[in-house]
Amino acid sequence: MPPTQTTPHLPGELMMWILILSELAVFGAGLTAFLALRISDPTGFAEAQSHLHRTGAGINTIILITSGWLAALATRAAEAGQTRRLRTLLALAITLGAAFLTLKASEFIDLSTQGITFETHAFFTFSYMLTIFHAAHVLAGMILLALVAKLKTPAAVETGAAFWHMVDLIWVILFPVIYLL
Amino acid sequence: MTHLTQSWLILMALLAASTALAASGLAGAGFTLTVLTLAGLKARVILASYLRLNTAPGWQRGFDLGLTLLLALMATLALAA
Repeated sequence: MPPTQTTPHLPGELMMWILILSELAVFGAGLTAFLALRISDPTGFAEAQSHLHRTGAGINTIILITSGWLAALATRAAEAGQTRRLRTLLALAITLGAAFLTLKASEFIDLSTQGITFETHAFFTFSYMLTIFHAAHVLAGMILLALVAKLKTPAAVETGAAFWHMVDLIWVILFPVIYLL
Repeated sequence: MTHLTQSWLILMALLAASTALAASGLAGAGFTLTVLTLAGLKARVILASYLRLNTAPGWQRGFDLGLTLLLALMATLALAA
């Protein structure tokens, strides 16, 4: 997929890129610490991981990747001045965000009914911390997408969508480390 | 088909590969390295296409390097367990 036009500058808002880098660093540090702790107790981590909803997390990956695609299409619609289309696309992306949170909540409720808390095992301390922090970003992203849908300017929509892509980006790294390895 | 839709399809294919690998019951170094490589490829598609880093090749190379180093560190720790 070659770019149509190249530039030495970062696309979109510089502040959003600083935020993306900061969040990648935070989640990267958290996941690295998680994997470092795993070295001391691989059996305990594997047993703890078996309680997670791996299928639900896989479905959530489809949901986030698709919502990211819709947000990216909304950015292009904003640039083309297609207000109705951009709002429809962002509404769909927000709806998928809500579906993501619903699936995540069902997993947390199930773990809670099994008596699993932050203190149960180091695996859960980190997996809860990282996934709840990520879910908070999903919620913030949904609010941001709703705001930029109202503003409808290309710059605003691109900034809102960039935040949403960051949420997507973090999940595609977090998902295999917490759920698959 | 727009390049955004192509990117979405590539992401779905990469996810399908990760899912098939996880469902296969495989384990060990090959599994770890493949899963993390697939994660890196997904991240790269999101950065290049959704976030349009493909319009800024210099920055894209920088992100590629950072992402590769992070995933290499993760792979080292995962394989040490």
